[in-house]
Order: sequence, then C-alpha cells, then structure tokens
Amino acid sequence: MTDPQVAVMMLGIFIFVIMLGFPIAYTLMALGVGFGYYAYYDAAIMARVYQRLLGGADPDSFYGQLVWIRALFNNRIFDLLVNQTYSVMANDVLTAVPLFLFMGYIVERANIVSRLFTTLQLASRRVPGSLAVAALITCALFATATGIVGAVVTLMGLLAFPAMLRARYDTSFASGVICAGGTLGILIPPSIMLIVYAATSGVSIVRLYAGALIPGFMLAGLYLVYVVGRAWMNPKLAPPPPEEETAGVSGGQLALMLLTSFFPLAILILAVLGAILFGLATPSEAAAIGALGGIVLAAAYRALTWKRLEESVYLTVRTAAMVCWLFVGSWTFASVFSYLGGEQLIKDFVTGLEISPLLFLILAQIIIFLLGWPLEWSEIIIIFVPIFLPLLAHFEIDPLFFGILIALNLQTSFLSPPMAMSAYYLKGIAPPHVQLVQIFKGCMPFLLIVIVSMVIVYLLPGTVYWLPSLVYGR
Amino acid sequence: MLTYIQIADRLSAWVGKAFAWCIIIMTLGVSYEVFVRYVLNSPTVWAFDMTYILYGTMFMMAGAYTLSRDGHVRADVVYRLWRPRVQASVELVLYFLFFFPGITAFMVAGWRYASRSWRYLEVSSMSPAGIPIFQFKSVIVVAGALLFVQGIAQVFRCILCIRLGEWPPRAQDVEEMEKLLMERGSLERLEHGSEAVDLAGLDDPAADPRRRSGR
Amino acid sequence: APAVVTAQSPIVLKMQSSWPASDVFQDMAKQYVERVQKMSGDRLRIDLLPAGAVVGAFQVQDACHDGVIDCAHTVAVYWYGKHKAASFFGTGPVFGGSAADMLAWFYTGGGQDLYRELTQDVLGLNIVGFFGFPMPAQPLGWFKNEVKSAQDMNGLKYRTVGLAADLMQAMGLSVTQLPGGEIVPAMERGVIDAFEFNNPTSDMRFGAQDVAKNYMLSSYHQASESFEFIFNRDRFESLDPDLQAILQYGVEAASTANFALAMNQYSTDLRKLQDGGINVARTPQSVLEAQLGAWDKLIDQLGQDPVNKKIMDSQKAWTERVGYYQLMNAPDYKLAYNHYFPGKINF
Ligand code: NA
Ligand code: NA
Repeated sequence: MTDPQVAVMMLGIFIFVIMLGFPIAYTLMALGVGFGYYAYYDAAIMARVYQRLLGGADPDSFYGQLVWIRALFNNRIFDLLVNQTYSVMANDVLTAVPLFLFMGYIVERANIVSRLFTTLQLASRRVPGSLAVAALITCALFATATGIVGAVVTLMGLLAFPAMLRARYDTSFASGVICAGGTLGILIPPSIMLIVYAATSGVSIVRLYAGALIPGFMLAGLYLVYVVGRAWMNPKLAPPPPEEETAGVSGGQLALMLLTSFFPLAILILAVLGAILFGLATPSEAAAIGALGGIVLAAAYRALTWKRLEESVYLTVRTAAMVCWLFVGSWTFASVFSYLGGEQLIKDFVTGLEISPLLFLILAQIIIFLLGWPLEWSEIIIIFVPIFLPLLAHFEIDPLFFGILIALNLQTSFLSPPMAMSAYYLKGIAPPHVQLVQIFKGCMPFLLIVIVSMVIVYLLPGTVYWLPSLVYGR
Repeated sequence: MLTYIQIADRLSAWVGKAFAWCIIIMTLGVSYEVFVRYVLNSPTVWAFDMTYILYGTMFMMAGAYTLSRDGHVRADVVYRLWRPRVQASVELVLYFLFFFPGITAFMVAGWRYASRSWRYLEVSSMSPAGIPIFQFKSVIVVAGALLFVQGIAQVFRCILCIRLGEWPPRAQDVEEMEKLLMERGSLERLEHGSEAVDLAGLDDPAADPRRRSGR
Repeated sequence: APAVVTAQSPIVLKMQSSWPASDVFQDMAKQYVERVQKMSGDRLRIDLLPAGAVVGAFQVQDACHDGVIDCAHTVAVYWYGKHKAASFFGTGPVFGGSAADMLAWFYTGGGQDLYRELTQDVLGLNIVGFFGFPMPAQPLGWFKNEVKSAQDMNGLKYRTVGLAADLMQAMGLSVTQLPGGEIVPAMERGVIDAFEFNNPTSDMRFGAQDVAKNYMLSSYHQASESFEFIFNRDRFESLDPDLQAILQYGVEAASTANFALAMNQYSTDLRKLQDGGINVARTPQSVLEAQLGAWDKLIDQLGQDPVNKKIMDSQKAWTERVGYYQLMNAPDYKLAYNHYFPGKINF
C-alpha cells in the first residue's frame, strides 16, 4: 500500500470510527497521531536513538526496557501535534469566535426576545399569517445577534409557538417557521460559521461577510414570502389572531415599542456589521465592541446581573473550547493526511474524472447536504470542507462563492432528520401533543426553499459578489 | 473513584472558569484598541498579540472543563441508541486508544516545545513591542496535564457506569438556555402524563442529558 | 550508518515552504527541487509542500528542528521572535551593500559561521541552513498617495513585519500587524494607509493594485534578503556525503535560476502594473535618509546584545571593504540606460 492510499484509508476509517460517538476532537487527534506514527516511523532512526539512549547498558535489564519504550515514543508525530495545536492557539481569525459567542450569550440573556416578538406581532397584525411573520422576523433578528440556534429555537418555541397554536395555526406550519427562522443566525453575518470557514479556507472573513449578507437576507425573504403566500392562499393554516389580542394599541404606542425593542437590537447588529464592512474594525474588534454593546443593552433592559454575566462567561469558554479543540484535532489529522500525500491522490482522482465544474459543484453540495444529516455544521466545515478546498482551483470555483453555497446548504443540517437539532429543540419544549413527525413535516418546505435559494445564488452570482465589489471595489 | 471524579471535576471547572474571564479582558482590551485607533489616532502595539494569546490560553485551559461537562462534540447518532453500559465499555477502550496517547504528547512533546521557547525567551514577531510568547507555549503542557487528570476521571466514570448500569450524575453547572428550557419543558410533560415515542428508533434527545447543544 | 540505497528507491525528503502554492516563491522552490532531483540521478527526491500543508508558514523552523519536516524553504525574518539577530540574515541594517553582497558575506565573510553559532549554539536548534537567491531590495510599498517627502510618511498606518516594523515605527509611522489575507480589505477600508509586501509579482498576485495606486520602489527596510534553506541536522547528516553536497550546492544552482526567473517575472509584472494605471514612483531621497536615521537608532539598541553586535560588526566590516569595491567599480548603469532608452527613468 502506498502512502497516499494509506491516507485515503485513514479518511475512510475516520468516517467509520466517528460513529462510535467518542468526542470528535480526540478521535481526529488519535487518528492523526496513529497514522502519523506510521508516516514518521523510521526503523533506522529509531534504532540509532535506541543505541544512543542505551549507551552500552544491558538491553535486557529494566533500564534497557525503559530505554526501549522511550525510543518507541521518539516519533515526530508528537511534535507535529504540538506544533499544530500552537497554530490553532495563535490563529488570529479564530479570536473572533469567543468574542462573538460572548456577545451572543449576553444578548440572549438580555430579556429582549419577548418584547421584540410582541412588538412585531402588533406591527404585522394586518399581514396574512401575522404571527408567523412576526415569529420569523424575531427569529431572524435575534438569531443574527446571538448566532445561537438552540437558544433562539427554544425561546421562540416557548413564546411564539404556543401563541400560534392558540390562534389555531397548523402545527407543522408553525413548527417549520420556528425551526427555519431560528437557524438563520448561523448564516446571516456576523456569523461564527463564516469565521470558521474563513479560518479553514483562508478566504478573507470580511469579504465572506459581505458576500453572505444578500444571500442571507434573500433566504429570510423567501421564507417570509412562503409564509405570507401560504397563509394568504390557505387561511386555515394561519388564521388571524382574535381581535382582543391586538386591539387597543395606538400608532404612537406601537412606535414607542418599536423604538425600545426592535431598534436597539437592530442598531447593535448594524453597528457590528457596519464596523466590519465599512472599514472601521476587524471582525474580532467588531465582536468585542458588539459584546460591549450587548452588555450596555442588557444593562439598559435591567437584565444585567452578576449571575448572568458569569453564566455568559462560562458558557462562552465551553463553547469556544468545543469549536477550537475540534480545530486542534482536525489540523493534526489534515497535516498527516497531506504529509502522506492523500490530498494529492484525491486531487488526481477527481481531476481524472473529467467532470464539469457544475457537476463537481453539485456533487460537492450533495455530499455536504448528506453529511448534514448525521453531523452538524462545525464538524462539516472543520473536517470535511478541507477535502474539497484544494480541488476548487482546478474547477475554477471561487472559494468565496463555494463558502456561501456551503453556508446556505448547512442551514439544512439543522432541519434534516435524523439529526435535526432545531426540530429536537422545539420538540423538547413543545406541548406534548406536538409530534416530531409534524415538526419534520413543517421543516420540509423550508428545506426546499434553501435548495431553491442555492440555485438562485448559482444562477445569479451577483447576489454574492455585488456587495463585496460595491464595498471593496472588486 | 467518586471522590476522584469530584476532585478532578472541581479542579477542571475551577481552572476553566478562572481562565474564562479572559473573555472580559479581551472584550475590554480590543475595544480599547479600537478607541485609541480612531479617537486618538494611535493604535496600540500590543492589542493584536494580546488578543490571540488570551483566546488561545482561554480555550486550551478550558479543554478539561469542557470534557468534564461532556461539552466536546460527538457524532452520536448511533451512540445515543446504546444502553449506558455499552456506551461506557466502548468509551473506556477509546479513552486508552484515542485520548491518552495524544494527551501524553501534549505534556512530553509540549514540554520540549515550550522549554525551547523559554530557553531563548521567545517573543512575538508580529509587532515591535516584543510581547513574550514562551509562557503562552507552556499553556500546551498545562492544558495537557489538566486533560490527563480529567481523562482519568472520565475512565472512572466509565468503570462506574459499567458496574452500575447507568452514568454517575454530573456536577450541577451553568447550562445552555435551550437545555434549561427543555428540562423545564420535560417536567411539564411529566405532569401531562407520558407520551409515546414519535418515531421508531428515534428517542427524544431532550431527555438525554448527554446530548450536546448544536450551534 | 546511512541506509543502503538502490537506484529504485530514492530517499524522499519532505520540504515545506512558507509560501502559498500560487506564489512565485513556490515556483522558485520548485526550481531547487528539480535541480536536486536531477543532480542526484533520482537518488534524492524532495516532496515540496506549500505553507500550511504540514505546519504553518511561520512554524517551519520549529518543524525542521523537531524533524516534523525534513527541510524548509523560507526566510530568516520569520523566526526573529526567537532572536532579533535572525533579521541580520536578510532584513537587517543596510550598511551600503546589496543582497548579493550580503550573500557573499554569508559564504565568504564569516556569515555562515555566525549563522551556525546563532542557530545551533545560541538557540540550540538541531538544524543546518544555507542561503540562496539574493532578492532585489523590497519596495517601500503601496500607498494611497504618492510619497513626495519624509513628512508624507509621518503618522501613516503602515503594515509590515519583523525588524522593518521597528524601523518604520522609529520613523514615526504607526505600524499595524495584519495577517496576509486581511491586508487588501484593510487597505480598502482605511484600517491601514499603506503596506509593503515583497516584489511586483507577489504583490500583483496578491491584489495590491486593487486597493492602492501608488507603488513606491526603493527602500532600506528589507534590502538584502535571501531565501533560507533549513534542514533537520540529523536527517541531513544521515545522508551520503555526495547527497549532502547536492543539497548544499543545489542552493547555489537554484540561486541563479531563481534570479533569472525573478528578473523576467518581476519586470514583466511591474510593466503590467504600470499599464494597468499604477503610478510607479521612486522613493524620495528624504525618506531613505530618514530610514538611515531610524536604522542608527535601532543599531544602537540592537548592539546592546553581544550576539547582535558581533554579527553587525562583521557585516559592517565586510561592507566597508566590499561595498567600497562594488561602488567604486560599478559603472553608471543609469547613464547607459538613459543613453539607449532616453526619458524612461524619471529620477
Ligand atoms: Na441534520
Ligand atoms: Na516585505
């Protein structure tokens, strides 16, 4: 077996072994270390080291046995592991991850979501499916500011979902709205998913943000169009709320509510995004300012307690550790993979297929879509996307464009069974009569909309490139 | 064994939480950099290095804390269908096969790496400020040692689970919002009476405390 | 003892560079690899990997020491965090000699011994290293507005690396450190006002011309750089003497090939940049004088350290003699160029 074949075997074994459910970061690290040991194994060097360490002592003695073990551990892979770990530690793109997480946790705890939903519900009361529209916009806005899917889906599931059910909304329809809306936050910048893609691909995070903005809003827009359209065509799905729930609010009161609930959050998001896009700060800097802004916002809503700050800090460190340790494992794995020549072998194989760029793109996206069933976005981007990246140049596909398609695609990973986290979160807090199948059924149209949006982005690359070229001239 | 698990959990949590506060220093430090750059037109020379040093230290030192709270992501589609005893047996083997070799390397090879850096008191080459980074490289060794200690606790957890047939309880700690809400939700559901499992073979992950958040 | 080698089984060395696969420097590394392979009659093969394939671009020296890779194609400034003396092998003070003069210092003026002493004795690294391809001096860089005097530089937010950052800071610029990928967007957005990278080809491939229209040539900030070829010492010494010689003298051979490639490619791309509307201008005398003034300050500071002082003294003594000969002897090439291509050079 040649080294590159061993590398491909390593990848195959990984896909199998990962299913044993051991923490993935350590699984990757272990396979990297194991196969790396093979890659760096050199009997001659080991024999020399052994002789040197032994220095004339009796090889059969206890000391001799110890030396033998030391020689066995004298393999360069252990140094590579440490070296790659340091590269993750000193990565300047990933510094934005804990900062955005912190901002998210602070905003999540700022008691903002119920105000926001009530306000939007009143503001949209004349629109078909008004509750669903309000829920969707609340989800999108809140998810964008926090980037935390689980929190958005559960909070909205407790708040908007019962309201919709009370208004006799169709259960599936209502669940789809919450699940899909709550997932938008990982796509619309500032998004941690895009930072992780930037760290993986080397694409400028700033350009990625600019590129993702229009497709992100477009997807949110398509969701809205679908919700309003279906509610308009079939009012039984989403009957208007009873008059007494919305009556008695004057225009002035509504304006005040918007001013105190909708705008502060919107301004925070715009400030963070604007700082990045219009040249005031790097993403890490914008994230720090966003976190500071979140603290001010929480204080203004009288939601800032020492306990909440503490909680945010501890959750930030745990989630950051989860993402970044995945990088430690993955970069070690990837180093050994390319040291063995696996990258080149895959490249040669795929270029040898002589498929068209379009077919490659479709196949790649299908694979990523399928990976989204058992896995989640962080694993897919950190572990599997690097396999596609070196092939892009051959097919003349821009890694920026590819990244936006992946970001859209990975929306589906939250909605597609069996591992549809959004659906599970909702199920976790929904009234008992709501069945998981109903939730899945409600997610399906939104899955379809994601695919439609990917087709639109492919056919109209301007949706990705217009904003970056407007802002950066290219 | 339970005593060791408790001590290890407490140690990991204490260290992880202590270093978690780096995020506040990061937030303030980076905001300060933006302020002096725009308002006073004189950027600092240390902000860039400070940012990644705090970030790297923070997540490395929280590795053991995250492990103790089962916060590292798993592909558990199959795993969560197993009985706890099966889970624990597989995990026990994998801790020795997958976990300890790499973690040992953090201590041994990490020591070589860091001590070299100490020898020449290495500084960052990213700025003229000469920000030291030898202490930063030593974080690898300390994080490795913490993970080693926590790893032994995880092994004990597996052994206890194999003996008792269920996972020993975890320490109470701050939880993700969705988890809190879902636990509240499941309490409510208990009051409403039991319900049938919706899909064959698909248990409700909300009831599984080992299921991590997806973000 | 070295392993017995048959003609069928070449010894494979893993070499990683500090350059992305698309950079012209990677093409130059390839020239070295090709030469080694041919000269060894395929007994020696080098697997050339781009930056990041095994370790990060700045990690190659550590990786060679550990034996994680066998050899590296890089520049010494990347490990100046370990000892500032690293800068003297390419990006140190300019005493009046070019990169070619400093390469000569390395091979015959005592530089090689000082390098060995610095890496092996002072830093305790398990590596051997050689230098090749005396690079053309690096341009002052890319600016929003043409720099007409030293005053124009004052307070600019400027991006550079290594000792050049100390230099520019001493000149009154505010130096910002940015990762490679963020330079272009940062420039566009005004986070920085100016930056330098390396040469017309690398700068163009990296997109500098999209964000700045003034390209200032000539500078003392990184004027005598060469590629550093690093080998893991054990690995290197385990090879047969003739293969060691091939690896070493291959550096000298590639140096010429690199130079030819650079002259052709850099000049072609400089013209392309000009045709694309870039204002290519010469750095004014006052800026160069200010740089020398800043170097003076730095030399005093650096001289506090005995290792630094020893190397600088050696370079200075060498340049005093060699530079004198070079400058006295060199004909006025500009005169001849102007004679045949009148009106092209505007300084
Ligand atoms: Na899924
Ligand atoms: Na340069």
